[in-house]
Amino acid sequence: MKPSVETHNLTVIYDKKPAIWNIDFTLPTGKIIGIMGPNGSGKSTLLKAIMGIIEPNIGYSKLFDQDLEDVRNKVSYVPQRQSVDWDFPASVWDVVAMGRYATKGLFKRLSKEDHRMIEESLNKVNMTPFTNRQISQLSGGQQQRVFLARALAQNADLYLMDEPFVGVDAATEQAIINLLKSMRDEGKTLLVVHHDLHTAQDYFEHMVLLNSRLVAEGPTSEVFTKDILTETYGGTLTTLSKVASVLQEKDFPMRHK
Amino acid sequence: MIDFWIILTASLVATTTAILGCFLIMRKMAMIGDAISHAVLPGIVIAYYISHSRASFPILIGAAASGMVVTYLIQFFHQKVKLQQDASIGISYTFLFAIGIILISLFSGNVDLDQDCVLYGEIAYVPLDNLSIGGLYAGPRQVWILGTTLIIISTSVIVAYRKLVLTTFDPAFASAMGISVVLWQYYLMAGVSLTTVVSFESVGAVLVIAFLSGPAATAFLLTKDFKKMLYLAVGFGISASILGYYTAVWLAGSIAGAIATIIGLQFAIAFIYIQFLKKARISETLENKALTEV
Ligand SMILES: Nc1ncnc2c1ncn2[C@@H]1O[C@H](COP(=O)(O)OP(=O)(O)OP(=O)(O)O)[C@@H](O)[C@H]1O
Ligand SMILES: [Mg+2]
Repeated sequence: MKPSVETHNLTVIYDKKPAIWNIDFTLPTGKIIGIMGPNGSGKSTLLKAIMGIIEPNIGYSKLFDQDLEDVRNKVSYVPQRQSVDWDFPASVWDVVAMGRYATKGLFKRLSKEDHRMIEESLNKVNMTPFTNRQISQLSGGQQQRVFLARALAQNADLYLMDEPFVGVDAATEQAIINLLKSMRDEGKTLLVVHHDLHTAQDYFEHMVLLNSRLVAEGPTSEVFTKDILTETYGGTLTTLSKVASVLQEKDFPMRHK
Repeated sequence: MIDFWIILTASLVATTTAILGCFLIMRKMAMIGDAISHAVLPGIVIAYYISHSRASFPILIGAAASGMVVTYLIQFFHQKVKLQQDASIGISYTFLFAIGIILISLFSGNVDLDQDCVLYGEIAYVPLDNLSIGGLYAGPRQVWILGTTLIIISTSVIVAYRKLVLTTFDPAFASAMGISVVLWQYYLMAGVSLTTVVSFESVGAVLVIAFLSGPAATAFLLTKDFKKMLYLAVGFGISASILGYYTAVWLAGSIAGAIATIIGLQFAIAFIYIQFLKKARISETLENKALTEV
């Protein structure tokens, strides 16, 4: 099977300080893959470099064995929710329609089929009642679902999502993960930046652990271990205790220092 | 007939600038007009020095070129040096303006040029400079120039509408789609430079800056649909031109000043209206709540 994403020596440097350093991996197709690491570990930067939003200083990446330019309309990017100004005068429908421009080109009128796709995408994230709502009048969780619907409307094969669970309540989070699982079952690949160590094992079959450089990458059962997590998150108290509690659930013995 | 030409001139400027202003406001770049108005000075001086004429075409080219330079500098300071947008704008235009002043003082021995004569046009004089085609009276020259500009800008915006909206609302997503954010930024800024320079010559800087930010801001308060915002902004711009003109005639005052004042009033009224609406909505909800709780 073709790999979904492969990166070779991918390096991005902002102001002399590397945000990601020499990242080298090959990810499988048809899986939900978690990207985890502490704040500022370069998760967003990694996604942006893969999508060509930031030009890497060194290295390159390939998607489905091809250059980004050749598969762009098969790839969807979901930015961090805070990256846009939600006061922009647009409705929920307008934003989701942007997902159709991606495959449609920027001149053609939206067809009946496009309208159907937009409605279906809104329905999948339970936002149909908000179709005509102004985006400035949405809650954080609703904004997140609008972004997801826009990605769904793109009908891509690979989705790169930057923290889709931030600011959503437990019920919405469950609904979103179910949605991602059903997409995975259709053969799509989902690359998801995530923060919560507690849910990580349930959500992801495969993981990338990042701390500017690549700490580990592989099936969750192999890489989600105490040593690797400690190496990823460093020695800060809160994260260490988090790691401890997560691993206790996994029945790993853990000594207190 | 003079009334008609003056109002038409103002309305043409209002329409072009209102369209661009909507994009600028959403990109938090409303003050770019102010920046360009100062930054075009060195271009104008150099164009004048080279062509030895005050004909508007070379001057226009020079001005547009420095308009692009200031756009580049702003982009550079913001993206590469990581300065805030407003600081980047401030530093870029003052720098270019200073160069313009130095150039003027260097050349002042042999040229007769000051910024006022090129930049700060006076709308009241528009009907005096007429154009004739084949000996026939064809209206003021400025009306033709501004009309052409309006056609260029509106076609450019229509052609690139989705790209401009996407790169304004969500640059990262646009860029992931393969749309060059920087390219469309320059595209928009080229339009702003052209419009500002052309409009300065006919209506003066203050009015252009007021037109660029005022009507778009008022429209933003009143609608949450970007297309409607464009239409509303144009509507406010044109109505301010008409009302402003007659106010000026009535008070025997400055036309540009009166129009700019009306633009300010429109914003104030829209703002008060929105506050009033919010209060009304809140008290309505409170009443409903009270009723259901009884
Ligand atoms: N545009 C930028 N200019 C300069 N430095 C940046 C820029 N964007 C990110 N950085 C720096 O690069 C590093 C990685 O940032 P990035 O946003 O990729 O981290 P992240 O893992 O997504 O963090 P978070 O969990 O907070 O979202 C950080 O140290 C950050 O300060
Ligand atoms: Mg991030």
